[in-house]
Amino acid sequence: MISALLYLQYHSIRNRTVMRIKRLKQPKYLVGGIVGGLYFYWYFFRTLFGTPGRGQAMALLASPQNLALYESVGALILLTILLLAWIFPHQRAALTFTEAEVAFLFPAPISRRGLIHFKLLRSQTAILFTTLLLTLVTNRLGGKAWIHAAGWWLIFSILNLHFLGSSFARTMLLDRGITNWQRRLGILALVFLMAAVVIIWARQAMPAFEPSRFQNPDAIKDYAHQVLTAGPLPYLLYPLRLVVRPYLAPNALAFLYALGPALLLLLAHYWWVVRSNVAFEEASVEASRKLAEKVAAVRAGNWQAAQRKPRRKRSPFKLRPVGPPAVALLWKNLIGAGQAYSLRMWVSLAVLAVCASVGMGQAAGGSGLRPALGMVAAMLMCWSLLIGTQFLRQDFRQDLPLADILKTYPLRSWQLALGELLAPAAALTGIQWFLLILVVGLFWQSAAGKMGWPCWLGLGFGAALIIPLLDLITLQIPNAAALLFPAWFQAAKGGAQGIEVMGQRLIFMLGQMLAFIVALIPAAGLFAGVFFLVKMLVGMAMAIPLASIAAAIVLAVEAALGVMLLGWLFERFDVSAETAG
Amino acid sequence: MAKLPDDDRLRRRCQFQTSGFAFAADWETHPLALGLLRMIQVEALTKLYGEFVAVNELGFEVKPSEVMGLVGPNGAGKTTTLRCLSGIIPPTRGNIRICGHDLGQDPIAAKRELAFFPDEPRLFDYLTVEQHLAFVARIYQVKDYEPVADQLLEELEIAGKRNALPGELSRGMKQKLAIACGLLHAPRVIYFDEPLTGLDPIGIRRMKDSILKRAREGTAIIISSHLLHLVEEICSHILILKDGRKIAHGTLAEITREFAAQAGETNLEEVFFRATSEAGKAQQ
Repeated sequence: MISALLYLQYHSIRNRTVMRIKRLKQPKYLVGGIVGGLYFYWYFFRTLFGTPGRGQAMALLASPQNLALYESVGALILLTILLLAWIFPHQRAALTFTEAEVAFLFPAPISRRGLIHFKLLRSQTAILFTTLLLTLVTNRLGGKAWIHAAGWWLIFSILNLHFLGSSFARTMLLDRGITNWQRRLGILALVFLMAAVVIIWARQAMPAFEPSRFQNPDAIKDYAHQVLTAGPLPYLLYPLRLVVRPYLAPNALAFLYALGPALLLLLAHYWWVVRSNVAFEEASVEASRKLAEKVAAVRAGNWQAAQRKPRRKRSPFKLRPVGPPAVALLWKNLIGAGQAYSLRMWVSLAVLAVCASVGMGQAAGGSGLRPALGMVAAMLMCWSLLIGTQFLRQDFRQDLPLADILKTYPLRSWQLALGELLAPAAALTGIQWFLLILVVGLFWQSAAGKMGWPCWLGLGFGAALIIPLLDLITLQIPNAAALLFPAWFQAAKGGAQGIEVMGQRLIFMLGQMLAFIVALIPAAGLFAGVFFLVKMLVGMAMAIPLASIAAAIVLAVEAALGVMLLGWLFERFDVSAETAG
Repeated sequence: MAKLPDDDRLRRRCQFQTSGFAFAADWETHPLALGLLRMIQVEALTKLYGEFVAVNELGFEVKPSEVMGLVGPNGAGKTTTLRCLSGIIPPTRGNIRICGHDLGQDPIAAKRELAFFPDEPRLFDYLTVEQHLAFVARIYQVKDYEPVADQLLEELEIAGKRNALPGELSRGMKQKLAIACGLLHAPRVIYFDEPLTGLDPIGIRRMKDSILKRAREGTAIIISSHLLHLVEEICSHILILKDGRKIAHGTLAEITREFAAQAGETNLEEVFFRATSEAGKAQQ
């Protein structure tokens, strides 16, 4: 029987690989494949085959003392992951198969154990791929690639078996009348007991905990090293340390020493899983159905439906039946984006930002905490400007699967485009204004001596004016890309995987960055001109707001032209070609 | 020249729709009246996908209260035709007029008059039934839509599901919601693509009744379906497409006369097979 399952697995992988190679005939995949391949080479393989340089330097840092610390830290991370797997899940054991596998394998004369073996076999594909990827990433830090690969494989294989075993154990407990909450309480009691033992030992054996001692990273590291490598914790973490030890082995001999216990743990987990006699079929059918729904949603471009079941959400405001129709799309997309974008929430955030800035100003006095936090807020603001569009997709990208319905609406194409962009633009602007208040609030007092509060006020005003327009422009770029290259866009988000798809995403990202820079040039030029002129004539305080107004006018014209262009693109967007693509 | 049908209700409707215009003595030839009499006018509609001809030089008219069945084998171009007629995809060539408005030149006015119901109800996953109606009301600027929406929800028996999301509705209910949304702005032209798919027997009966009711009220309707008995039952006119070409158009009686092998053969299924077969093409 297992040979049939092996046949299925082998041919599924083979056919999928052949299909991916064949689709390289299409330019969109070929170009994506080349770019993705180059990225992989430059980022990963160059260090694998070329001069290690930085990697060896990093390897030197792994002294025996550090290794013991890393081993304990790794074990602690694994413990956290395993605890989460025991505490949070509430469903009965379910092995996720595809709908085809359910249809063919469940009615077939295959034992439950056979199905488990098939599942374990199939999960090895994902484990091996993850192992390869992580080996490429971690190999940049130095060490031997094969040791890292084997180490990662052991860690993921044991974790996989443990997750499966814990789900079986959970089901068995439920069958015996032990509810999820009873199980959770039991596990949490055990965790508290372990924590109490460690804390009691630390209080008795370690010097008293004084925050003033932890001014530098070395002091923190020393303290962590003592807690993790002495007392009860190393014993409590011992089985998990055995799991991470092969990965951290500095040489082949150490790896071989570490391999035996880790393999024994792997076999023990395997025995646990295959000996568990738990009925998983019913829950598996349901899980498979949900998986199929997710896949269908992703292929249709509906990521929201794929991520979670939509919940009923309150309208952000009452939509009147008459008025600008674009507002209907804003209203719809705000509901789609969730209740998080209600006016009340933004007012609350703004008040919170003001209070936090003032409060920190009072508390930190002259310390460097406020500028540091201000810098973090400023960076987050810039980051949200550049990357935020990838997270807030309540626009054409979300509605593309319903493009045929949108096209039946009696709206001008620019109205549709504007309506589609408004919700993510409003949400992003809200986030950035919140961060802006924090930035200005945090820098205001600390840097007042250098710039003066009128300058900070002007800066805040100018940024607040420019931000929504920048958001509107940045949102137009991925939307235009989705309408211009629907086949690429669908391929990139249609659940497809592989280097070529990664390459497509890279091309999109770079294209977006380039288009954004080009859009900024005229506004930046005018800003600079007005700024220097006004600064010379009036002074710094007026220079920033006036230059910002000038830049905002340019950006507004660009945004308006962009909306018209986007509308034109949507008008020309051939739904039939898109679905065929 | 179009002649006004002997239907007082229809005449009143034409007069109402054109209030504000003083008809000339020969009002039967007035362009606006003609537009109203020919709710859907299609001339030389052609749609190409690359070199593939999906619809080829198609022309027809649908008048108020007419229900036209669009039938044909798979790949005949039925859905493409409906998509062109509703403004979803642009035709490669040809003209489409909806209630006198050119769909290419004045799409907004044309789209205000029509509703398209695809074979699968297309709804927003995150909007409730009530929110769908509010959204559509704003899009179509339907002032005081609430009583109309309430009536539609009652009529379609989904009034109890006002706060439900599409994911919480059965397929039939989703279709009812799509219909409620489509009818909210009182369209004068309606297209149905396989309207009975997924409906239970009661739903099928109600759908047929609803279509006929709208037709009686003067709406021009096109139904694309493979269910020939449905087409035969509720359509006043039939258009048979094959490979994007019109191979027959007229009332059932006219088409039967054209394709029937022997006197008395009035079964649309037989006529359809004959019309779409090689013999039918030769007869053309």
